[in-house]
Amino acid sequence: MELSQVRYFITLCRTLNFTRAAEQCHVTQPAFTRAIQRLEDELGGPLLFRERNLTQLTELGRDMRPHLEAMLEAAEAATALAQAKRQHTSASLKIGLGPGIGASVIAPLLGEVTRVLPEVSIYFDEAGPSMLIDAMLGDALDCALLPDDCDLPERLNRWPLYTETAALIVPHAHRLARQNEVTARDILDETILVGERCGGFGNKLADITGYSLRLQRCNGAAAQMLDLVAAGLGIALLSERLSFGQEVKPCRFTEPDLTRRILLTAVAGRPLNPAAASFVKLCRARAFH
Amino acid sequence: MPAIDTMTEQLASLTASRRQSAAWDAAYQEILAKLNRDGFLDQILPEGAEFPDFMLPSAEGRLVGLREALSHGPVVLQFFRGEWCPFCKLMLEALTESYDKIEAAGASLLALTPETGGLALKMKTRHHARFEVLADVDFGVGLAAGVVFKIPKLYRGRLDASGLSFPQRHGNAAWCLPVPATFIIAPDGRIAWRFVDVDFTHRAEPADIIAAIGQV
Repeated sequence: MELSQVRYFITLCRTLNFTRAAEQCHVTQPAFTRAIQRLEDELGGPLLFRERNLTQLTELGRDMRPHLEAMLEAAEAATALAQAKRQHTSASLKIGLGPGIGASVIAPLLGEVTRVLPEVSIYFDEAGPSMLIDAMLGDALDCALLPDDCDLPERLNRWPLYTETAALIVPHAHRLARQNEVTARDILDETILVGERCGGFGNKLADITGYSLRLQRCNGAAAQMLDLVAAGLGIALLSERLSFGQEVKPCRFTEPDLTRRILLTAVAGRPLNPAAASFVKLCRARAFH
Repeated sequence: MPAIDTMTEQLASLTASRRQSAAWDAAYQEILAKLNRDGFLDQILPEGAEFPDFMLPSAEGRLVGLREALSHGPVVLQFFRGEWCPFCKLMLEALTESYDKIEAAGASLLALTPETGGLALKMKTRHHARFEVLADVDFGVGLAAGVVFKIPKLYRGRLDASGLSFPQRHGNAAWCLPVPATFIIAPDGRIAWRFVDVDFTHRAEPADIIAAIGQV
């Protein structure tokens, strides 16, 4: 398939009008129609119903649209990034981080984006999934890292990035700090700090085991929870991928296995600026261990 | 001492063994017939055309650009179908072995695969390739070059049955593939030489690539 055919088709999807779409693409209508027909031949059937006053996508057209839109954007983004690098274009990269998801995993990728585009400004927004989803749909965020147990609307593309396991965070002087491995049985008498913004591992543990655990609500970010752990208010279950600092000790939590999958999400069909597009591609291209 | 088979001979022998399966052969013939009928080769960027500049993530997670690579000399741009493809494996092996000569001729090689999730790195490390393997995420550069096609039914059925999940490997459920085209791009960004064939078992022989670099 040709880039121009795909561009014409996507323009037609947006206008549902052959005359207007051909005008927007700066080609004559016969040339435009021929290109659409060639794309239909290649894809194996009509992409549109052509009626006198009504142009509508066929089922094949509807199926292919998001994929072809992604391919067109990828073609344009690969060129736009090269151009942005040459022209030192400034851009912003706005990333949402779901509850308890840190930036240490993606930091090296951001380093690569800023190497190529030194003028880029990076913003993080840490919040619950529904707020981040609304922000993405409202164009206030380019993309977000979210746990896979949240409800994602169909308009969001999602790519699994990595799986993360919970570590048990205790003060250095804690009796468990010297243990190589900790299980649920070891913490039955402990106060466990839990909060919606910290990944929900504590609540998950209570659900899985059915134990009556001593849960203490702490509705802050991971940084505040770590302060409370250091001050001896309780212990916490947080993603092992967070940075914990010197004040507390992360221990391996082995039973039950508390893991969650983290997805990269972005609004389907919305073109991203070169910084955001290259970040998404860098994330998708690699494997995270 | 018996002569070492050329890559083309190895590909021919692999094709012959695959074609013994009637189902494989039917799926293979379907691709050739479809792409020939559609005039697929006519839409690929021709010699003399400018290859659009691009930047893509490399196997190691760097952003690598065509223009940057061209500042050191001609670039051989090779499209691969993926880490799973036995014909691509033979070609990667042959290119890895010939890479010293490609470099000696003053060129570098960018290998593009549509696969994501670390498969570009897997492909590179398996063959100990010294050249860049780039992830052409969502087929962007392949589409710009005109080398991407939608996989016909029989072949898709075979891929599906073998457990190869393209939606997962590509992060995109388009079920497309590039033809394994080769472009030699001159430092001015123009295509000096190309090898294109609708038959994915036919590839540019490294010796021909090296000879063509000499003409740039």
